[in-house]
Amino acid sequence: MADSDGEYIQDEHDDDEHDLAIDLDDEEEMPTTSALSSRSKGKARARDRQPRRAREAWETTAQRGKSYGVLKEGADGRIDGDVEREAERRKRMRLRQDTRPFQRGIIRHVILILDLSEAMMEKDMRPSRYLITLRYAAEYVREFFEQNPISQMSIMGMHDGLCVRISELSGNPAEHVSALQLVRHGRPPNLLPREPKGNASLQNALEMSRAALWHTPNHGTREVIIVLGALLTLDPGDIHTTIRQCAKDRLSVGIIGMSGRLKICHEICAKTNAGDDSSYSVALDQQHFRELLMATTTPPVVRTASTVSPNTNTTSTNNNTATPASLLKIGFPSRTTSPHPSLCACHGNLTRAGYTCPQCRTKVCALPATCPGCDFTLILSTHLARSYHHLFPLKNWVPVSWPRAAEVGSRACRACLGAFPDVPAGTGTGTGMGTGTGAGTDGNGNGNSGRYECGDCGSHFCVDCDVCCHETIHSCPGCLS
Amino acid sequence: MALTELPQLQMGFRDIQTANTGFLPAPPPSLLTVVLDTNPHAWELLSSTTGLTLSNVVANLLVFINAHLAFNHVNQVAFIASHVKRAVFLYPTPPKPTPNTNTTANGSAPNGTDTINGTMGDSNKYRPFARIEHEILTNLRALISSTTTSTLRSTTTTMMAGALTTALAYSAKQSVLLSPLADPISAGQDATADYNDGAPASRRGPPLTSRIMVVSVSGDLAHQYISVMNAIFAAQRQKIPIDILKLAGDTVFLQQACDATGGVYVEPEVAEGLLQYLMMAFLPDATARRYLVMPGGGEVDFRAACFCHRKVVDVGFVCSVCLSIFCQPLSDGVCLTCNSRLSLAGAITPAPALFPRKKKKKKRIAGDGTSGASTPMQGVTPGPS
Repeated sequence: MADSDGEYIQDEHDDDEHDLAIDLDDEEEMPTTSALSSRSKGKARARDRQPRRAREAWETTAQRGKSYGVLKEGADGRIDGDVEREAERRKRMRLRQDTRPFQRGIIRHVILILDLSEAMMEKDMRPSRYLITLRYAAEYVREFFEQNPISQMSIMGMHDGLCVRISELSGNPAEHVSALQLVRHGRPPNLLPREPKGNASLQNALEMSRAALWHTPNHGTREVIIVLGALLTLDPGDIHTTIRQCAKDRLSVGIIGMSGRLKICHEICAKTNAGDDSSYSVALDQQHFRELLMATTTPPVVRTASTVSPNTNTTSTNNNTATPASLLKIGFPSRTTSPHPSLCACHGNLTRAGYTCPQCRTKVCALPATCPGCDFTLILSTHLARSYHHLFPLKNWVPVSWPRAAEVGSRACRACLGAFPDVPAGTGTGTGMGTGTGAGTDGNGNGNSGRYECGDCGSHFCVDCDVCCHETIHSCPGCLS
Repeated sequence: MALTELPQLQMGFRDIQTANTGFLPAPPPSLLTVVLDTNPHAWELLSSTTGLTLSNVVANLLVFINAHLAFNHVNQVAFIASHVKRAVFLYPTPPKPTPNTNTTANGSAPNGTDTINGTMGDSNKYRPFARIEHEILTNLRALISSTTTSTLRSTTTTMMAGALTTALAYSAKQSVLLSPLADPISAGQDATADYNDGAPASRRGPPLTSRIMVVSVSGDLAHQYISVMNAIFAAQRQKIPIDILKLAGDTVFLQQACDATGGVYVEPEVAEGLLQYLMMAFLPDATARRYLVMPGGGEVDFRAACFCHRKVVDVGFVCSVCLSIFCQPLSDGVCLTCNSRLSLAGAITPAPALFPRKKKKKKRIAGDGTSGASTPMQGVTPGPS
């Protein structure tokens, strides 16, 4: 691929566009990947100054470069308050935006397809797209099995026009991680050389995923996540037939692009997700790529025939049948130890301890597993409990404005007893410090009093506890006491 | 004998060596969070049967805390009481909120008192120990005296989930305070790849080793199941072991918590030797535990309890929507917790076709196809599920 172009030079009206860029910086809550929304914003701004040509979104983005966020001076001429707010904003950006409880597909069968074509040798992500993808894929595997312990995953790669299988469909994370290591360092029969080669073929990838997910049971989801760095796909046949087949087989495809937005990817995502293409996103930089990848560890919302889709607010007429709610027969084995070692059914090793299937008394080493004797799903109750926080998510906490902080008078965080900044003198009827909006919070929705309030119990927390409780603990300490 | 072989000089050389390399490795600071179950009902029951009262246990715990603090100069401790309807910090004392509803010129003047007043007793006592003990006892007395009889009458369970969650948040915050640049979420896992090198920050070792110690006297709390499990997984993720000292009551959740997080579970048989149990089993921190043989390690029952009868089940039927477990396939196909219609196709295994036996006098009905919504017969080999 050619190197990225030289710096884009604006043609005219420099100083006014500079103001425009700063405004757009402030208004955005997070880097938008959808070109549609930023294009509309750009056009709305440009329409104000009618005689000038409306600027496309890519023009303003190229001029802005990385949006570091412009620091503003506070009322007393210092910027350290603003720096803290930037840090807080970055921390809170990780929180899930939508915490309505939806029905989610907990038992997932996911195929992760990595792009191993020549486009991945591009060095716009350090050290190269290929190495970053492999590293993030290993982290992704661990995170995925932590969030979805009863799911299964398989990893494939698009290499030189073919789709190669890196690891088989299984629920054991160590297997996938070691397979990824082999990709990085080459395999003995040299099926997969170390370096990426050739072009990517989306059709082959989709066909292979469809075949792999063919025999998965009905009560689980069938998902494909493609990481695409190339800007083209080289297919042996008609990809639209494949897309139709995938939609008929209840596959739901999500694509994370690294280079740019492609029409074919948009079509794949839309057709397999019943018209909703929010599963197609393009990473702006390395950190964003990681966030997009980790966001897919959350179980997907199950769509029924007449639900309102959470993102697009349109009733989705589903041409692929949604996962029906069903009652699953699952075994909960207990750990047994015997004085004499016996063979385990999964590896053939001699072990003393293991879990016995309640249906056929076969011994397996580790859970979650499918019994090799009778195909019975075996899990521990803790594995089910791991998924509860997806079904009953913790509601987001509201940033607290200075008047409200003065009203409640909290001086320390409820959970960690970290001290809050004092309420400044004279706050009571005022609008708060330093920002223009009347509610006392800045445009990004971060309260500048450093407090965050839980809607149910009314206790105030600091930003670290906010992130910790929403990311790791998934419960509110105030509501529980 | 060469000059370098003299022991004094050898030691001198070693000091120079460490001085060149930087610093003598010191054990990392360790945070101990004690969660004390102060459920008055359970304590009343316990003291009437065994004679072990709350004040006994608190006194032993104070000695234990002093020992923990004596181990290392930078060790920290926190004390949380899990009471009937609240979980409150006994140490460090939480500052009281100061709501001011009228606008004053000096809005930041603290109205409530932060400091614990009163004499601290014996002035010969080591001052940090005396201070902590004084705060804990004062706060505990305030907590108990502020409990009303109506609260006691309303419920007999304790807020263990709230105490555990608060303890976890406190530990996380203390870790962040000690290493403000590290990402607190991924401190226990691989950190995000840095711009230049991929070395995760966790390779240097955690800055603060925390552990949570729970003294529990109450039984299991079914309605707090989800919160307690969330807390257990969060502790597992942050590598915080949860130790349990069980004086009364039986709980499976806390046993699973110990097992999942790598903690120590002890149910003392002789109550008088409480301090000995504390000192021997619970005092070593995470770095020392690697070299010691810790007590406990009994059988942990991981089987699930069904939601309808609280029976322990081997084979359960799980609703795919809300993940609730039932012991039998529901007769009408409606989940008890989420009220959604469930298809029973996966649950019922059809009885295999039987050839009618002509020799028997009683005609056995040849069953084929689905047998309706009944449980599979016991003697029949299960078909493919």
